[in-house]
Amino acid sequence: MIKITGVDKSFDEFKALTDLDLNVKKGSIYGLVGVNGAGKTTIIKHLTGILKQDYGQILIDDEPVYENIKMKEKMGFIPDDLYFFSTYNLKEMSRFYKALYPGWDQVRFDFMIKQFSLDPVRKLSKFSKGMQKQAAFVLTMSSKPEYLILDEPIDGLDPIIRKLVWKYIVEDVAEREMTVLVSSHNLRELEGICDSIGIISKGSMLLERDLDELKADVHKIQIAYKVHPENPYAGLNILHKETKGTVDLLIVRNRKEVVEEIINESKPAIFDILPLSLEEIFIYELGGENNEITEIIL
Amino acid sequence: MFQLDLKNRKSIYEQVVDNLKELIITGVINPEDKLPSVRDLSKQLTVNPNTIQKAYRSLEMQGYIYTVTGLGTFASRPAENKIDEGMVLTIKEKIRSGIKELLYLGVSFSDAQKILEDLMLERGGWK
Repeated sequence: MIKITGVDKSFDEFKALTDLDLNVKKGSIYGLVGVNGAGKTTIIKHLTGILKQDYGQILIDDEPVYENIKMKEKMGFIPDDLYFFSTYNLKEMSRFYKALYPGWDQVRFDFMIKQFSLDPVRKLSKFSKGMQKQAAFVLTMSSKPEYLILDEPIDGLDPIIRKLVWKYIVEDVAEREMTVLVSSHNLRELEGICDSIGIISKGSMLLERDLDELKADVHKIQIAYKVHPENPYAGLNILHKETKGTVDLLIVRNRKEVVEEIINESKPAIFDILPLSLEEIFIYELGGENNEITEIIL
Repeated sequence: MFQLDLKNRKSIYEQVVDNLKELIITGVINPEDKLPSVRDLSKQLTVNPNTIQKAYRSLEMQGYIYTVTGLGTFASRPAENKIDEGMVLTIKEKIRSGIKELLYLGVSFSDAQKILEDLMLERGGWK
């Protein structure tokens, strides 16, 4: 279990994190999203014990992470900007990982480099960016982490490799209850894989919930009437409303059954109810401060 | 066993529930057949095991499947008395939108009624 409470962090004058809370259940796949500069990478660097917070607590299995070697042995981390020793190849790198991680699985490593078709004796610095990312993934997954932290893991990977990466992650979650925290801008892909979502904004947690609950609560509806009734939407919790010609488009925060009951009462000519995609929820929750963006996209 | 549509607006969770339900209702999965374990199905579909777990729990609550600790999950025999009112409402919505389209096509009231009746007679085993 990952538990972050009330974390503050400033870099000189700049306040990067403000009273940030974050909770990840064991065996969960947690998606961390937010606009550029919201603090995703900063919080990940705290979680992996690279940075130390000014205030607050960062606990994994009730233990602080910073300078905690035992905890870091159980953790796999793939940063956004990878680093390899300049003269090392994958084989040498695997020896280095083996020395650091007690959970190292040589059989899996040998199998994975074949599956990903990575040359173990070619210098890692000669690999393409996508291949370096694959190499980092193979090394990390071979160390069999209990906690896997991924910062933009699928950026720059081709669709076949992406599928393979998710397959490995799902398998380890299913088999050994690995806990995953992943940050990404690819919301469609997160939506297909995560069970919980945390949206951060300006260094604070804006919203943290079970993904399906989040989606069951917000709906996009399209309604048109032959004769527009007086006030057909009374009783609905309307987040956003716009009218295009005779069609009303609403975003409502209500259970589906409630929406259907209220709207059918008013005898609409057209009535469509659609769940919002994570992308739309993201834009709606974060685009609020900038209405122009919201209007373009919704 | 079935495929998921990632571009569908329906959540993965709903798709898993709907697909399994369909397989049970149509008899592709017979009563008392064993369903794949959460782990196996999760790996097979590359879907978060927590999502599969949740789908199984929901199907169990709706009476489609049951779990025996240590043995696994099985398809239930069709419900004998319990009718899920919420599901009835959802299905009513689907019929409602179908009827609306029939009206738009200019089908007469009696023809529409006949269509509904024919469809009902297509299936045996009504109570």
